[in-house]
Amino acid sequence: MGGKFNPAGRVSLLLLPSLAAHSGVVNEWNEQTVTRAFHWARYCEHIYSRFHGNPVIRGVLEKQLQLTNHSLKEAFPEYNAVSILDLGRCQDLLLLWLLNNSALPISIMKMLFETKASADSTSSDYEDVRGLCNQIIQCKSACTVLRPLLGGPSVGAEVQGEMLMERLGSALSQSSDTRRAEDFLSSVLQKFEVAAEHLCPVIAAALLTTDSAVQTASQDFLLDWLQSRLGVLQHVCTALPSKVLADLAERHQKFRDAFCKLLKKWASEMEYRVTEGEWVHAATNSAVSFQKMTEHYLTLFEACPSLRTEIEDELNAQRIADGDFDVRGLSVWGDILLALRK
Amino acid sequence: MASQMPFWLEKAIAWGQTDTPHTRNDISLHLKRLRDFLQQLLSEISSSSTTETLNRLPLLGQLLGRLCWNSHVTAEGASRGLLLQCLLALYSEHPSNAVERKANQWIQVETVKINSNINSNLHLLLFCLHSNITFFNISQTSHRCSCGSIWAVSEACVPLITCPEASPLIGALLQQQMTCIRESLSENFLDALHSAYSRYRKCFYCIFSFLIFAIELKFVPLFQTSASLKAFFPQSPPSLLIPLFTMPSGQCAHTSSLSLSALTPGKNAQNSPVGNHKVFEAWFLLVQCGYWVQMVVQLLVTSGPEDCGPLLWLLTFYHHPTNRWHHRASQLVRVFLISGPSLAPSLTLNLLVNFATFGQLPQSISAEITQKVSKLSSLKPLHSASHLSCYHKI
Repeated sequence: MGGKFNPAGRVSLLLLPSLAAHSGVVNEWNEQTVTRAFHWARYCEHIYSRFHGNPVIRGVLEKQLQLTNHSLKEAFPEYNAVSILDLGRCQDLLLLWLLNNSALPISIMKMLFETKASADSTSSDYEDVRGLCNQIIQCKSACTVLRPLLGGPSVGAEVQGEMLMERLGSALSQSSDTRRAEDFLSSVLQKFEVAAEHLCPVIAAALLTTDSAVQTASQDFLLDWLQSRLGVLQHVCTALPSKVLADLAERHQKFRDAFCKLLKKWASEMEYRVTEGEWVHAATNSAVSFQKMTEHYLTLFEACPSLRTEIEDELNAQRIADGDFDVRGLSVWGDILLALRK
Repeated sequence: MASQMPFWLEKAIAWGQTDTPHTRNDISLHLKRLRDFLQQLLSEISSSSTTETLNRLPLLGQLLGRLCWNSHVTAEGASRGLLLQCLLALYSEHPSNAVERKANQWIQVETVKINSNINSNLHLLLFCLHSNITFFNISQTSHRCSCGSIWAVSEACVPLITCPEASPLIGALLQQQMTCIRESLSENFLDALHSAYSRYRKCFYCIFSFLIFAIELKFVPLFQTSASLKAFFPQSPPSLLIPLFTMPSGQCAHTSSLSLSALTPGKNAQNSPVGNHKVFEAWFLLVQCGYWVQMVVQLLVTSGPEDCGPLLWLLTFYHHPTNRWHHRASQLVRVFLISGPSLAPSLTLNLLVNFATFGQLPQSISAEITQKVSKLSSLKPLHSASHLSCYHKI
């Protein structure tokens, strides 16, 4: 870790969204300010995602948060204390803080509830928050409407995902070592071999359940386990659609890292078939296509916009290492870049 | 307006009490009327102060509150939009009395409530449902009737017809083979598709997808049509009208490129009997629905040069169906247009007549074209004029 970045030293910055959203200063906010506030909240979530599993940094963070919360509360009575768990869902909380703030101008509220005329997701700097609430309500309502359809005799992936988390949680809490939990997941894996298609959504559902302190630990364990079982991870990333994988990547830094690594691995295993004029995955019975891979990247960028520059830089570095060609068919990295920039 | 309030409030209360297939069906049946009512409400709220509105419509708060909590109402894009706009329109920027202050408070609480507990895994849910449906498709060999489940999913999708996230699921629903005598898709679902479609009549890419559907699907002679679809396609089963309803236009463009590539003959099937049969079926259906060809010609005449390609392709296919040169269709069409009418006289005539009628050309030019048409078709000028007049909507 080194001295590269110490989040504990900038704790007060992490509390900025909460401080701003609770004060009367929002009265002067416009669309750009709101967008920046959400970008900041996303940054807080990123910090949480990276460091909540590191006991040393987490401990320091928690202590600093406590101290800063205290002094802020003394200076600003309307300030609401923010815990480390809150950081993990900073964007959701920011929205609620804003809506709860009576100083928020009605123009901002109307902007948040706007119905988007078209579903075009070309990124313009300020399109993040326009219609955000409308989007949220649409998702919530659609889920409520569709969820009962997955019930009945074949219980849905969501319920099974929750059950998986529960059992994993109890296995982890029952003993100090992780052997019980490992055994449990191994038995799950056995079933996996028989009904792989069915278990991929269950694993996804397990990782997407609401964060509570207990579930976080189970989800972390499951993520570590997944990272160590490349075959399972590969299967999950082949079976599930881009959007679900992007949701997982947005929620869990570990999954994001593992997924990006896997995409790179797949790309490196591609061969160019001159007769077909396209890149093909060399492994036998591979379900991975060049098109699917680029789709994964694009959907990933939509969910995690900050990743785009990082990945494009990486791809470009690889392209240069390959010989710095601009012609199609010579470097898979170059061709991916071309496809991403279309 | 005030007279309709008790009716809608009663509905909202009934809908909120239980979530049964009956309630959901009732909501689906009333959604369009509800949208119209909300539109009227919005105009009324926007044109007077909150105090005046609440005096006139004291039940308004209750109604809006209850509707905001009904997921079947809020899942549908237009009704959700109108509902939220009504809510926010009641907000007073400078509240002048206790009533307006209370209304502001209430609106704030409602907006917070409906945005809380944001844990929705919509993408995962849609994927699971999609997998279930495609699984039903594949397992048709077991002759197990899955109609009940397909029906339930289609009914649940009624409010999601215009939701872009749900379009793959809706496409999968429409694509599933209808081998059961009973109708698999709910009537409400088909009606909702129909009204969504009629807002996008000019989407010519849909016509292509229509063609590809004729080829991809088994030509099932189950002429099951819902009453609303009969008006457009009296002979065709609803299952063949799928892509005509798959929205938004991004999806249409996607399906059209799929259809064009699918029509290009595969490496193995050069001139196989199966391939020829498929092409014939597609052409036969197109001929059955000649109205579409007319629409295409009109669009061709009135749209810009960049849109011409696919339209010309369809037109040439109609007049000269063959599976041998589709992928070179645009080249051939260019050749045909340059070298003159010898290749397909009926197509030339059709084009010329439509240009004269819809092309918004000066009178003298239209007259010139009419003369040319009569010369080419050896019709007496009287005949060609009457042919033209039947297109005029005077």
